[in-house]
Amino acid sequence: MKAFITGIGGVTATDMGCGRDNKRFELKAGKLPNISRRDAFDTPYPKFRRLDKYSRLGLSAIAFALKDAGLDRWTDPRPIGIIASTVHGCLDTDINYYDTVIPEDGCLASPNMFAYTLSNIYLGEAAIRFGLTGAGYVISESTQSELWCLRMALTGIAGGQFDKALGGRCDLGHCPPYSEPERTAGGALFFVIEQKPSNACTVYGNVVIDSRGELFFNGTGVKDLETLARHCIAAHSKQES
Amino acid sequence: MEIRKTGTINVWVTDAVTVTPFGDNLNDLWLALLAGKSAIRPLQRFAVEGYHAGIASWIEDLVKIDNRSMCHFLIEHLLGQLGPMPANTLLITATTKSGIDNLERIRRCAPAAPADVLPGGLLEEVHRQLGLTGECINISAACASSTIALAQGAELIASGYTNSVLVCCMDLVTEFVFSGFSSLLALAAGPCRPFDRDRNGLSLGEGAAALLLMNGELARQESRSHLGTILGWGAANDATHITAPARDGCGLRQAVLKALDIAGRHADEIAAVCAHGTGSVYNDLMELNALNQIFGNRRLPIFSIKGSIGHTLGAAGGIEAAVGLRTLSEQMAPPTVGFSNPEIGAENKVSFQPSTFSGDCLLTTNSGFGGINAALILEKGSLQ
Repeated sequence: MKAFITGIGGVTATDMGCGRDNKRFELKAGKLPNISRRDAFDTPYPKFRRLDKYSRLGLSAIAFALKDAGLDRWTDPRPIGIIASTVHGCLDTDINYYDTVIPEDGCLASPNMFAYTLSNIYLGEAAIRFGLTGAGYVISESTQSELWCLRMALTGIAGGQFDKALGGRCDLGHCPPYSEPERTAGGALFFVIEQKPSNACTVYGNVVIDSRGELFFNGTGVKDLETLARHCIAAHSKQES
Repeated sequence: MEIRKTGTINVWVTDAVTVTPFGDNLNDLWLALLAGKSAIRPLQRFAVEGYHAGIASWIEDLVKIDNRSMCHFLIEHLLGQLGPMPANTLLITATTKSGIDNLERIRRCAPAAPADVLPGGLLEEVHRQLGLTGECINISAACASSTIALAQGAELIASGYTNSVLVCCMDLVTEFVFSGFSSLLALAAGPCRPFDRDRNGLSLGEGAAALLLMNGELARQESRSHLGTILGWGAANDATHITAPARDGCGLRQAVLKALDIAGRHADEIAAVCAHGTGSVYNDLMELNALNQIFGNRRLPIFSIKGSIGHTLGAAGGIEAAVGLRTLSEQMAPPTVGFSNPEIGAENKVSFQPSTFSGDCLLTTNSGFGGINAALILEKGSLQ
């Protein structure tokens, strides 16, 4: 099945913003930027400040991707799906939450923090903020390519679950002693995939999944999300020139 | 890959096993459900004096092995019941909090394997124990995790990507989760009462399930048991609130209608519903709203098993799909334990007694934090 990538958004140690801003989005070890509401959202969003770090990271990348695709403004809810990959999920929030449980035998457990101890919660925040009513879930893979999120997004489109989806990853990075340093870098990177682009001007190129689950962007094999972003941004630069 | 036509799915469920407080097999669970038994009782795993409730449905002999999470106990008891499967079977695990009991130990400076805490931390163990060579992923979608895992497993088979998928789901009763639901004032002081007018919260539970999905043609060639067919699936977000459902049931309705559309079936063909039915005030109201919009005044049996085994979180959808297949096979809906005084809209549908019915299709649904809703349409199998 052929679909089209129409938006890219990311927050990494090197860059933050939309794909059309010619960002590099390198998923390398490094300190992630502190994200303010104004970085990712044009309009007031009082709740943003109260979100946990993991949710702020993922939600900001989703906001950039939707803006890049021209899908950030809406009036009626839209059946757009979100499939996100992660290694550590909300582990940072889990630790912070459980540290409120230990003193006083649980009497001080924080309900606000507990609500963010599920890896998929930021997808719910994105659904509320952007009116996204498609399926949303988080996956963790045994490989490091993190391409399953895009496979699932494309399979969902082919199976009739939705005709647009966001596929990507969100991770705060290595968290000792729970993971090995080489397991994953911090950062969030999302792609908007559309079966029929609503605006031809926003198309980076086509993405195809073959019967073995291999992914191709404009006919070239893709080995991971970072490479895909690089191919997309190069294709955009070529279109511009 | 092409856009698939509706009503063309042929994904068989060829094996279904469970681990619950009622034992390490589906038959014992089924008999306990029919008898109206409940495993919800005072918790003895951790101190509960600081919480709003002190009960849950928990497995008596569940123990930690070495430094590993108690999930490994569930995995061993689960996988020991499974028959042979193709070596290249794709594995999907589903859980909300994986081996979170080990995070508790680590934060309390006790020895524990840290990798079990990660969302996909149990993948390698299941993969290794089964000797599989295929790929593996974990799915987290709150309390709809295993429903969505089954849907995605079926989707991957229907798309031709693979011929067999094993979905393994599990979650534990831990202080981490118990304290959280207590802090949200979501726990019932007594055993939960799904769809009852006097319900006042949920009861937590723990358990696991594994379902083997296969391409129907291949399964037939290999003379596999045909416990049932997954005909359709749908998932939707109600985009309203992260810990409360949309009261009008818009997300669940959208998920069920999508599942019916994928299955190529009409609502009239659904003979029974295995509902999420947590016993929380807003969830059950939302479900009744959505189901009554879809089924109108039809008197089809709607049941919840959470009065018997509690809310098993990420494992709920898998356990309930296994029970749903047995429900179709026996043509009998188990009673909803704890239900006695019907909520408006539950009259003549939800019952505290087993209900016989006649029909081939069952709807099973789950909803969770983050606004997620998921639905599966199951068809009765050909082997009893």
